[in-house]
Order: sequence, then C-alpha cells, then structure tokens
Amino acid sequence: MKTLVVYAHPVDDSFNSAVRDTVVRTLIEGNHDVRLRDLYAESFDPLLSASERALHHTPPSTRPELGRDVEDLRWCEALVFVYPTWWSGLPAMLKGWIDRTWMNEVAWVLPARANTIRPRLTNIRRLVAVTTHGSSKIVNALQGEPGKRTITRSIRVMCNRWCRARWIALYGLDKSTAESRAKHLHRVGQRVARALR
Amino acid sequence: MKVVAVLGHPSADSFCAAVFNSVVEELEKSHEVTAVRLAEENFRPTMSAVERRAYETSTPLVEDATRRHADVLRTAEALVFVYPTWWSGLPAQLKGWLERVFVVGVAFRFNNRGKIRPNLQNVRHIIGISTYGSPWRYVKLINDNGRRTLTRAIRTSTGLHARTMWCGLYALDTCTLEQRRDFIAETTKKISRRLGRKTS
Repeated sequence: MKTLVVYAHPVDDSFNSAVRDTVVRTLIEGNHDVRLRDLYAESFDPLLSASERALHHTPPSTRPELGRDVEDLRWCEALVFVYPTWWSGLPAMLKGWIDRTWMNEVAWVLPARANTIRPRLTNIRRLVAVTTHGSSKIVNALQGEPGKRTITRSIRVMCNRWCRARWIALYGLDKSTAESRAKHLHRVGQRVARALR
Repeated sequence: MKVVAVLGHPSADSFCAAVFNSVVEELEKSHEVTAVRLAEENFRPTMSAVERRAYETSTPLVEDATRRHADVLRTAEALVFVYPTWWSGLPAQLKGWLERVFVVGVAFRFNNRGKIRPNLQNVRHIIGISTYGSPWRYVKLINDNGRRTLTRAIRTSTGLHARTMWCGLYALDTCTLEQRRDFIAETTKKISRRLGRKTS
C-alpha cells in the first residue's frame, strides 16, 4: 500500500522518534511503499498566513510552495501520523500542516450555496494515528479526546467513504518505565501492520 | 477584572478580528484588558527543540515572547479566545501559543510527591468565541475539538474553578451580513454582562 507517514516532534532522541522508526521499519517489512515526512526536520512552516488564507477558495496551483504536500496527499492510500499529544490535541506543527495542505480541490470542494464541504481524498483508505499522552487514559477521556476526534472524524470524512481509522496510543507516558515503553513499541509494530492489511 | 483576550485569526480584517475588536473595546470600559493579536505579533507556533527540552525543567520559558505572555497569565482572571475553527480545532498559531506559554510554573506545577497540580486558580472565566464553516449539527457530530481543548483541557489548569462560556457562529459561509452584525453585538453584550461592570 502507498503509505505516507507524517511525523512531528522537535527532539531527535524523543520516544516519538523511536515510535516513528518502528512504524517505518514495520511498513518496509510489510512491503509497503513508504514516504516519510518529518515536519520539524524539513522546517515546515505551519502558519497559515493572511495572504494564504485569502486563497482559501482558489485551486492548489496558487500555492506552488505546497506542491510536494499536495502530490503526497493525492498519491497515498494510507496516511499515518506519528506525534505527541499536547494539550489534548495535535501539536501546532501537525495541525498547521493540515490547516495549510488539506486545501480546496485537494481534500475538499465546496459546491455553490452549500455550507458543508465534500470529500476529495477518496484515495485514502487507511488513517492511522500513533501518539503518546503524558496524562492517563481517564484524564483524556474526560477531556473528550479532541486529538483523536480530529483524526478519526474531522479528517476522516474527507477520505474514502470506507476509510478505516486506527488509534494507537500510549497513555501515561509521564509515568512510563523503559519496560512499558518497549512493550508499547512492540505493540505499535503489530498494530500498524494489522491496520494496513 | 484582569482579562487576557487572544485573537487566533491570521488576518486583521477578518470577521474574527471584528468580533475581537468589539469585545475588547467594550471590556476596556470596565476591566484591565491585555489584547494579544498573535498574527500581528508574528508569534511562532512551533515549540522548538530547545523549548521542548526546557519544558522538562523548572525554567521552561526561554524566549521573551513567551515570558511576556506567561507574566500576564499569572494574574489573569478571565481568558477570552477568539478564533476560526479549522478542521474542528484551533488554528496552529493559537494551539502553539498554548503549547509554548502554558508550561510548568504557569499553567501547572508539581507538588512535593511529583503529582501534577493546577496553577491557574486565578482564572475564573474561560470564554470562547469561534466561527465555523459548518452548521451547528455537523459540528456536534464531528465534535467541537477546539472548544473541548479550551473548556476541558485548559480548564483543568484552573483547578476546575473557571466558569466557561461559548459563543459560536455556525455555517459562516451562508450567513448574511445582518446575522454577522447581530452576532458581534450579541456576543459583545453577553460577555460584558458575564464579566460584570466595575462597581466603584
């Protein structure tokens, strides 16, 4: 499966970088065609500026600087996000990538006089989020899991109608041990492989 | 009352900016308002590697831009957020502001047993104003993730003391000019009533 992995963490030796490596290794072993986007390493600018906002209803050709992102999005059949959950949601870097690249005619179209957008990323059949939470599962449940819902609902409705979303999360990272982290990495490998079957 | 109002829309002539200016102008009559226009300040949304490492220490604020905002937060009694909802959540710049400013010693602290504790008990009100392209029902179905981040996740930092209030303008793409005008007037009135007038 053509798989796009989008990774966002500022620190090179973070636990999330180990998760990313596990994900990429698993995908290559599973004979998937993998493209990795490391947003921090590429110095991606997540800021949707006022001038770019003015282009909201124009075709992607008006934003040539995002050409590579558009090409990646239209190419992939599976989209895998690897990121830390901060303040219950996606880090600004990743949220900004979505704000800027999931644009008109790529992710959605807005028919005249309508007020809900229609999906355009029908090539995407698998959505996978691999994330870590500092806080416990119960705290995140009480907060309503905004990050999870951003991916499994808000983003997913722009993908294929039968797109499957998978949530692979480690809760309570702040209290984790080397052992529980290693166990999680093993689980990430197994679940990513299963998600892309 | 000390109010911190934050604008998360990139453009100064947007509808969000109009709501923001109206609310700030009204509140300034009876309160001490700090207006933060993130786009105007060129606030960087990304937490850098240096900041991320400092986040784990007792001195997490490494830049003047974030230190200044943190100082205002320490005495704030009301937080007002005005932003457009994009992909059911906060725009990256506003999300980044939370990540970089709401750090240890500002939003939370650790007690002597290493447990995380709220540190913004001074905040009594969290008010959100947002515009949505989608209609109300669609927003409820997908979930209003920006609202949850502010009224649930950020609210835990106030020790769950803060009252919350939400003003949303839905289906913005099909709203008439009149509906928009009414929204500005109503929202401004509602918020100024909630925060009260100074009795001197």
